[in-house]
Amino acid sequence: MSSMSLALRNLRHRRMRTALTVSGIVIGVAMILVLLSLAAGTSTQANGFLRNVVGSEITVVNATTPSFPGGFKFNGTETGGFGGGGGGGSFSMIFGGGDPINASLVGRIDNITGVYVASPELSTSGYVDGANVFLYGIVPSTYSEAATGLDITSGGNLTGAGQILLNSVTATNLGVSVGSNVTVGANSTGGSTFKVVGIYSSGSTFGPTSRSGYVELSDAQSISSDYGLVTEIFVKTTTPSLVSAVASDIESVISGVTANVASSITAPASSLSGTLTTFFTVIGLVALLAGGFGVVNTMMMSISERTREIGTLRAIGATKGQVMQMFLGEALLIGVIGAVVGVFIGVVASAAFPLFTGTSASHTFGAAFSGALRPALTASNLGISLALGTAVGIVAGIYPALRASRMDPVEALRHV
Amino acid sequence: MSEMLVQTVDLQRRYKRGKVPVPALNGVSMSVQKGEILGIIGPSGSGKTTLLNLIGGLDRPSSGTVTVDGEDLGRMSDAELTEYRLRKVGFIFQFYNLIPTLTAAENVELPMALAKAPLEEQKDRALELLEAVALGAKADRMPDELSGGEQQRVAVARALVNHPAIVLGDEPTGDLDSKSAKKLMEVLKSLRKEEHATFVLVTHDPIVVAECNRVCAIRDGKITRESKIGEDGKVLDHSRFVMDALF
Repeated sequence: MSSMSLALRNLRHRRMRTALTVSGIVIGVAMILVLLSLAAGTSTQANGFLRNVVGSEITVVNATTPSFPGGFKFNGTETGGFGGGGGGGSFSMIFGGGDPINASLVGRIDNITGVYVASPELSTSGYVDGANVFLYGIVPSTYSEAATGLDITSGGNLTGAGQILLNSVTATNLGVSVGSNVTVGANSTGGSTFKVVGIYSSGSTFGPTSRSGYVELSDAQSISSDYGLVTEIFVKTTTPSLVSAVASDIESVISGVTANVASSITAPASSLSGTLTTFFTVIGLVALLAGGFGVVNTMMMSISERTREIGTLRAIGATKGQVMQMFLGEALLIGVIGAVVGVFIGVVASAAFPLFTGTSASHTFGAAFSGALRPALTASNLGISLALGTAVGIVAGIYPALRASRMDPVEALRHV
Repeated sequence: MSEMLVQTVDLQRRYKRGKVPVPALNGVSMSVQKGEILGIIGPSGSGKTTLLNLIGGLDRPSSGTVTVDGEDLGRMSDAELTEYRLRKVGFIFQFYNLIPTLTAAENVELPMALAKAPLEEQKDRALELLEAVALGAKADRMPDELSGGEQQRVAVARALVNHPAIVLGDEPTGDLDSKSAKKLMEVLKSLRKEEHATFVLVTHDPIVVAECNRVCAIRDGKITRESKIGEDGKVLDHSRFVMDALF
């Protein structure tokens, strides 16, 4: 007869009370798990959301590129909703590239831990049907993830070589529309035939009247004869909080480049998800704390009811330590059972969460935040919930167990 | 003829009730012989239970000494007293005090489990004792499935399981009908022989007194009378003590 099996007997002896006490822990643990998962899910979603809204977080350019107007090839590009593709705040970006860098750097940046996506761009100038146009060569598959993406108003995105996207100003000036063929080249005479596949809205921030167009990177490289070169690489990180670390990693791994951080955008992003996590965790902890007090309460009640039993145990030779073990054992069992059941319920509730919340979340966060709140179950959150539930059981049991072990046996035996 | 097991010398115990010290024991010098059944009688509040608690190592004297098996209990630490209770003392309570969540056998095993005896040994010994108290067939019953007399016999088995030097009973028949009380005393008498056990029984019950080898009467914290023992090992003037016990 170990103190653990004695503890189990006692819990089974008072099933109803045990069930109620355990449910206090269950609720706390389940809440913690759901809220931690929600926090994890929210920060994942928030990151994704911010990725869509803001431009790239890091813009990698040649280190020799001045960050002020000077050595740039073009004076200005529309950034409005898209051109900032490059995103927020880097002058070198806004004013177009400086000296080009090797396109192979994209692969090396991709290999850096914390990098979500890296997408190259070659900024150059060219002629479309004889008119001077800012031309950007991009990799369509990664560009929209790494940069803001283009606000395409008609047609579609680039799907291959020989295609061009024009801004609405250019299209109007040239009198072309989706499906038209245009001649694109490095000078006003000659060039190759490109098909206009989409028109995107001209931004308003910089020169809404300026003409620009997007082609595939390889097309832009042929037009400007910058084979294997790009002017900037847009980078996004897996988590906004990693931005500055990733930027300095890029600069230390690859010599000769500057990684400009759009810090003004990423800082609030990481603090937003941090705040959410803290907020949710605190709510969960309060619930668990309430469960803990439930355990203390039940244990104290149980000890007061079993005073004579404790006196008997002490009289027949149980040490203080053994009495303490029995009651701590009960508390531990309550904690473990509560934690296991709580985690189970938490997992089920997390899975069911989107069903209950519907699309209210997208109303709150706007359309960019597509879909409902989706809790993300992680192994560490499961572990944390299990450990917390168990720990609360033990901690809640300490005081009652101590009380039980310190009872005066003579007094306890006299208790009716 | 007999060996002395317990000796108390000028044993005093005072409690504080508020600010006034109340003497519960007021200089008790007595002894218990190995193998006897000693009855302690006296009105409520006379100090009987206090004396029992002091011999049992549950309480400490305010002054005087209590020596059991050559050891001065007053000099023991709390941990040593616990160990002493575990190895040397068996307790029988008025209300049996069985652990309600354990079967009869498990209740008997409990002191051995606390002493960390091997599991097989626990089971064998518990069954042996349950058979000795005529409860071998009810070893797996829970306490609430047993009558009061049966529960008390389980408690007796529990008290004896660690081969204690002395078994202390506080009103062991106090909650039993006379038939059960007689049965209990039969059991105690046979265990006294088989287990070479020594019993000190605080009681009001003439049925108990009748089976004691010797009786001490306590009043106001002092031993007021002690019986003589006849050649048959029984209390000589036992009817007088029965009267004392009753009134």
